Amino acid sequence: MKLREIGIGKTVETLGAWMLGALWLLPVVFAFWSAFHPAEYSTSFSLFAPLTIDNFVRAWSYAPFPRYLLNTFILVTLILAAQFILCTLAAYGFARFEFFGKNVVFALVLLQLMIMPEVLLVENYRTISNLGLLDTIPAIGLPYMASAFGIFLLRQSFKTIPKELVEAAQVEGLSAVGILWRVYVPLARSTYIAYGLVSVSYHWNNFLWPLVITSSVNSRPLTVGLAIFGAPESGVDWSIITAATVMTMAPLLVAFILFQRQFVQSFMHSGIK
Amino acid sequence: MKPTFQLRYWNQINGWLLVLPAVFMISLFTHYPIVSNLFHSLFSMGTATRPEIFIGLENYKYLLDDDIFWKVLKNNFIYSLCTVPFSIGIALCMALLINRNIRGRSLVRMSFFTPTVLPMIAVANIWLFFYTPEYGLFDQIFGFFGGDSHNWLGNPDSALYCLIVMVIWKESGFFMVFYLAALQQLSPELKEAGLVEGSGSWYYFRRVTFPLLMPTTLFVTVNAVVNSFKLVDHLVIMTKGGPDNATSLLLYYIYENAFSFWDTSYAATLTVVLVLILAAITIFQFAVVEKRIHYQ
Amino acid sequence: MATSKIILTDVYKSWGKAEALADINFVCGDGELLVLLGPSGCGKSTTLRLIAGLETPTSGSIEIGGRDVSNLPPVKRNISMVFQNYALFPHLNVAENILFGLKARKVPKKERQKRLKDTAALLGLTEFMDRKPAQLSGGQRQRIALGRAIVAQVSVCLMDEPLSNLDAKLRQEMRQEIRSLQQRLKMTMVYVTHDQVEAMTIADKIILMKDGRIEQHGTPEDLYNRPATAFTGSFIGNPPMNILTSDGPLSKSFPDSSYFLGIRPENISISNTSGIEGQVVAIEYLGADTLIVCQWGEQLITLTVKGKTDALVGDYLRLNWREENIHLFNRDSGVRVSNPAGGTAR
Repeated sequence: MKLREIGIGKTVETLGAWMLGALWLLPVVFAFWSAFHPAEYSTSFSLFAPLTIDNFVRAWSYAPFPRYLLNTFILVTLILAAQFILCTLAAYGFARFEFFGKNVVFALVLLQLMIMPEVLLVENYRTISNLGLLDTIPAIGLPYMASAFGIFLLRQSFKTIPKELVEAAQVEGLSAVGILWRVYVPLARSTYIAYGLVSVSYHWNNFLWPLVITSSVNSRPLTVGLAIFGAPESGVDWSIITAATVMTMAPLLVAFILFQRQFVQSFMHSGIK
Repeated sequence: MKPTFQLRYWNQINGWLLVLPAVFMISLFTHYPIVSNLFHSLFSMGTATRPEIFIGLENYKYLLDDDIFWKVLKNNFIYSLCTVPFSIGIALCMALLINRNIRGRSLVRMSFFTPTVLPMIAVANIWLFFYTPEYGLFDQIFGFFGGDSHNWLGNPDSALYCLIVMVIWKESGFFMVFYLAALQQLSPELKEAGLVEGSGSWYYFRRVTFPLLMPTTLFVTVNAVVNSFKLVDHLVIMTKGGPDNATSLLLYYIYENAFSFWDTSYAATLTVVLVLILAAITIFQFAVVEKRIHYQ
Repeated sequence: MATSKIILTDVYKSWGKAEALADINFVCGDGELLVLLGPSGCGKSTTLRLIAGLETPTSGSIEIGGRDVSNLPPVKRNISMVFQNYALFPHLNVAENILFGLKARKVPKKERQKRLKDTAALLGLTEFMDRKPAQLSGGQRQRIALGRAIVAQVSVCLMDEPLSNLDAKLRQEMRQEIRSLQQRLKMTMVYVTHDQVEAMTIADKIILMKDGRIEQHGTPEDLYNRPATAFTGSFIGNPPMNILTSDGPLSKSFPDSSYFLGIRPENISISNTSGIEGQVVAIEYLGADTLIVCQWGEQLITLTVKGKTDALVGDYLRLNWREENIHLFNRDSGVRVSNPAGGTAR
């Protein structure tokens, strides 16, 4: 019967999806395997291989990972806070106010979507150097704090808020700032969450610009720390490198596994214009 | 009710005040560097003893004669031409698979998406080991079937393609999300009408699903192309552009010139090229993508 | 041409443990327009989707044109369907939308063009052939959806609330148009709606559904004149039938409290001498007639009178009705009781 054919087709599809899924997960599983087993098992797979956290202990002792972790944490928090403030104000201005040159300015802002700060790293390095901020955590964040992407997303979200709500708030005597704080920001909550998750993932993982701008343990984020640690010339054991790799990606990975739906939805949300 | 003159006046000032902080910051780190970069590309490198001097288009002349530049540019085009269509094609397949009501759907979706949340540096570390001669995963698999050991990343012929495979793995799940979002917005009624009217899966995909996903495909393509010029983190770990510049990409070459050879003047010249490429993509996007047909 | 009778036998449908449809049995005759009517969630759309093959029954069989189609996919069932939101492909123009199915089934080009021309002429769509759906009005989109159903030239057409997205005036026009098309093309049509006026005006037969079961199957007149249950009585007719209860005997045909008494608003008259006494709580003037709502004990009774009324809110009125106009229903089951006291109920 035809219905049975459909059933077979679906089984094939399901198996295909599972296999592709397994293939996609393989490298991550492999990293965890290698990190939790002694070095001699990183290339030979045995179910009876003893589990160990020795690799983590040694990675921990070779390089100041707690400090790197702290730096990344401060960096991500700093960027997010600054982005929320700057982008909210700008998005509010673009969404609700009419002023001279608005469209031109907005188009200029959007240019940053295409030409990100890391593309201009030579000149931005010069700027940061002139400001005397080389090798500091704020220097890593500064070029990203005003984000065209954030302004764009929040402006879209602010524009969908019905005019009646704003007018009702005006009738009740709220000021422009009051309306922003009491009406726009709460109603755009899901956009803030989406943008926040995308931004945190981006800056947790960002590498090239931090690599250029930092030169000491005091400011290096995890990614740069890992790169220096894992460089082939450092001569460190592969198992220990994977342990360090796992440490670097674990916080975000755990957050992702816990809030999987939220993550996927956020990335979706950020892509729909 | 017409706003009074005063109210309009305040609107102007308030609007400007609100956008000013962000606009200032963006100008400082995007617009100003574009201009100053162009300016610096016309000067020679200054050193402690020798001030920088105006040399006109000298840097650009050097660029045209620089074989490495052409090689890097060619690499970058190969890299884009491979990563973009493959990752988008795989992303579309993933989205179509997951959009069906299959068993274990959220688990499969999670594994597709996982590479997206990993730092490129971590991914590079893991894959570096996969490509290790003899001990690496690929050589072990090949060895199992009786193949020889390969120096995957050490061979100029294969190194770039090895990186391409890795980047496809890293990016497909990210693009999948946009297709998923678009698929979820298609009305199930359309599919049912197709079923009643006798369209097979392939006919329906070709005539309905794919055309309706076109705006998403264009959006994702632009994103993917920009990414392929912007994302070079893995080179620092895996190949450092080698062997013999076989894997170097434009942004990495800029980084190398600026921070390894300290030739910021030439790096500025290269940056002008990169900015021009990105500007061309932007113009393409506004000319084609933004004018796409809005169906609804 | 072969018959296109639709027969559902003992059809059940459940989603996991939740039962959506139970004990569905009916026949839709050749060339008949059958309306599936009921409140939302009653299972009417599910029934239609079972006939279309978009869902499969948990048990029971579905037959179209003498063929058991229970296990066939939609395309093999020789049906056409009009969807609630028209299911028009936004990227295809009117002609491509109408021809979508014919191309899928690889009907030869010449034949396609001929059918397209006929259909377009029939529906007055000829001048819009190159437009995209988004450039057309609601009524025109509805016509394209009809065109897609007609161009397939199959004798069974299923309609899922086809008019619910149109405004009241257009709805009435399209209703008449669908009915005349159906009769002219001798289509067998199953039509889902929640609007009883639409059902009454368009149907040959109506199946009234509630909670996944058939409440009554009959002609519009049957449903109006002889409602099988208190629910049918209150669902059909506008304003709906009054369903009254009483602790004591109300009339000689309402002998005790084990019955509901159903009486239509248009069958209640105001009397000076006899009947029950109610106080007017609301008056709605509708032009041709007036609705009067009276309070009688705990219950509200609605009646219609011709033209305007002199009564005022707060007045007391005596309400009367003829014995032959009352409907009696069992108070526990809601089922019609034909002859409770050997009295006059037909």
